[in-house]
Amino acid sequence: MRPTKSKLLGILAATFVGQMALQVGAIQDFWKKNYWSGQGFAESLSPDQTLLQLFGFREFLAGILWVRADSFFDEGNYDAVLPIIRLCTILDPKQIDIYATGMWHIAYNFTDEEQRSDRRYIPSALALGKEGSRQNPNTYELFFETGWIWYHKIDDDYHQSIKWFRQAQEREDMLPARRNLLANAFQRNNQVREGLEHYWKLYAETAADYEKQKDIYQLFQQKETLEQNLDTMIVRMVQRGWLAQERGDASQTVYDTTEPFDVGFTARVIVDEPKVIRVQGTWNVLPVGTRIRIIVRDADNPNFTLAAMDWDGQNEVVLDPERDATYLQDQGFVKNRRFNKRIDMSKDPTMYPFSRKSENFLVEFYYNPRSASLHVQDKFGWNGEGMTDKAFLRTDVRKDYEWVPGEKNGKYTDGWKLQERQTPPARIVYTSLKLSRDQILRKGDWIDKTPIVQTSNFDASRFSVTTEDIIDVPTLRSSAPRPGANPEKEQEAIQGAPGTTPR
Amino acid sequence: MRPIMAIATTTVGEAIRRRVLLIILFIGVLLLSIIPSLSVLTARSEQSTMISTMYAVLRGTSALIAIILTIYMIPNEIERRTIYTILSKPVMRWQFLVGKFMGAVLALGLMIVLMSSVMVLLFYIFQQPSPERLLEVARQPFFYFLEMMLLAAVCIFFSTFTTPLVNFFLSIGIWGVGTVLSPLYSSIASNSGASPIMQSVAKFVTGAMPAFSNYDVKNPIINPGQVIENEQKYFIYIVLYAILYSAGLLVAGMVIFDKREV
Repeated sequence: MRPTKSKLLGILAATFVGQMALQVGAIQDFWKKNYWSGQGFAESLSPDQTLLQLFGFREFLAGILWVRADSFFDEGNYDAVLPIIRLCTILDPKQIDIYATGMWHIAYNFTDEEQRSDRRYIPSALALGKEGSRQNPNTYELFFETGWIWYHKIDDDYHQSIKWFRQAQEREDMLPARRNLLANAFQRNNQVREGLEHYWKLYAETAADYEKQKDIYQLFQQKETLEQNLDTMIVRMVQRGWLAQERGDASQTVYDTTEPFDVGFTARVIVDEPKVIRVQGTWNVLPVGTRIRIIVRDADNPNFTLAAMDWDGQNEVVLDPERDATYLQDQGFVKNRRFNKRIDMSKDPTMYPFSRKSENFLVEFYYNPRSASLHVQDKFGWNGEGMTDKAFLRTDVRKDYEWVPGEKNGKYTDGWKLQERQTPPARIVYTSLKLSRDQILRKGDWIDKTPIVQTSNFDASRFSVTTEDIIDVPTLRSSAPRPGANPEKEQEAIQGAPGTTPR
Repeated sequence: MRPIMAIATTTVGEAIRRRVLLIILFIGVLLLSIIPSLSVLTARSEQSTMISTMYAVLRGTSALIAIILTIYMIPNEIERRTIYTILSKPVMRWQFLVGKFMGAVLALGLMIVLMSSVMVLLFYIFQQPSPERLLEVARQPFFYFLEMMLLAAVCIFFSTFTTPLVNFFLSIGIWGVGTVLSPLYSSIASNSGASPIMQSVAKFVTGAMPAFSNYDVKNPIINPGQVIENEQKYFIYIVLYAILYSAGLLVAGMVIFDKREV
């Protein structure tokens, strides 16, 4: 039977309308949401690569470029890796590995001659994490990685890591060992109760799982670890007087944090050579483990604030940092109640341009007990309750914040709100010393004069000792002197500062 | 139905005997077999790179086979005048067209099955995946088959009124546009600067042109761990889409071919 032309045209119209309805009504949005691998067109590709991209071979191209990036990693050519990472994430934003590696690479691997990271890149690393978590919302990984940059690399503003770790917790695939980290982040944000509750929650879940599957040794180990963590935390809550504080009877007993200890902070900056400074200072705490954060930055840059920069300021991935900004972060390690560090910025002009944009530069000293090691916190408390400083204790440098989750929409929590916490503010030791551009570059009046700036309480005699900085840690087993040591002279040198009480 | 099946069977036989197709197939298999050696170059994303590269080769080779197989089908019959022998029998023009299309689809299916088997075998040997993962990897070639069926329909439609050379470039162009159509549409639709008219035009074009990108569902296979709800429903839709669109193109081809002087 021969179909008539009108019949054929009728069928043609019906199939055309049918396929169009299917495509626009049911297929298009679903495909874009679930299968589309690209966020747009990647630029800076060679013509053949662009052609591959156009014909839908995006993942293939991303894979090939990633192979190339690996070889650059092996050669240590980190500068070449950066654009490839960006291209790969544009071509295939579902490759979690590329995001995770890229964030780590951007935040950690661009360093100066003395292995200090170029922190101007950190906002880009965080922006990459934000983009990656938006693109891969079903897995915990990029939420965790972003939180980890806040927790470990920025090591400040812990409410941010809490926010990201909480989002990671909502994903079922999060590794059990990594779930503990949220409790630590809570503690560092002085949300001690929340930290304890998180441990209890994890413990209850793990214990229940272990009851069901006793033959899985890993569950037993997790349960044991959580028991130990809980045990240690509760002991600390008692000994640091935190529970007594909550109850309101802290004044009745002497706790480890009772009577805040005066750390006797002083600081001095000497410009030894152009862009080479020596930072010195005192910190009257004898046990090792204290690191004073030292920051050198433009005084007037609006993106910089007290001992920090606007880390969270980028929402789009821009891999080119503010080239004419100077931001250095280092640490002064306290030994024998002093710190003394030479910082050479002369070898890395791209990282430390000391551009004309700023006429003055700040050398900042920052100590936050929330980031302190546990044995130091045992005396200072979670929020520095056991620490004071006559001259430089500040409670206005870091306000206490927390993110409050908004409405939950399936796996997503929308509309997080940042709010100030009604708790005692963070007790921080902070000061800054100003240097002019001429001083730091040893120009003008400072060609043959050594610029020295110091806090008014700085005692130079504490730095005139010739004895080597040897840390004597007495043990119960042996009190025998070290060969060649002169303990009396060393003690004399250590106690050189008048009016201080060594602990 | 018998004439259609007879033409389809003959077309499959012709396709298998065509050297140029066999050479493309051989090159495809050869490329597939060297891909496992690529994975050693990338430490972290070994499996992702291997799968995405294999899929790229499979898709590229299949598309080339689909185009070369179909663009010559009708012009060759006309040029060699074998069409007179066929049409002098009780075979209608529409049956001839459908038979040719079905034969091309069957031949394509055979070639895709062959290449997919090599791909799955290599993947199994070099990655030792779980049976579930193996099945997951083997899923995408089926959708490539649907995509190539649609591409074959496009080629056959053009071959009713154009020369093979023009058809070659037209089909490649349509396939290229069809693979980038959704992202393009999406870019225009999400661009707040685009006028409503532009957005409507983009929407219409997306609906009217064959969307080959619908069959590109490999991303969750390459990057496992993504949760997709109602995937089965989507698969049903795209099978229906392929059938409807191919049918539409064949009908349009019939209308044109019916009027053509041969």
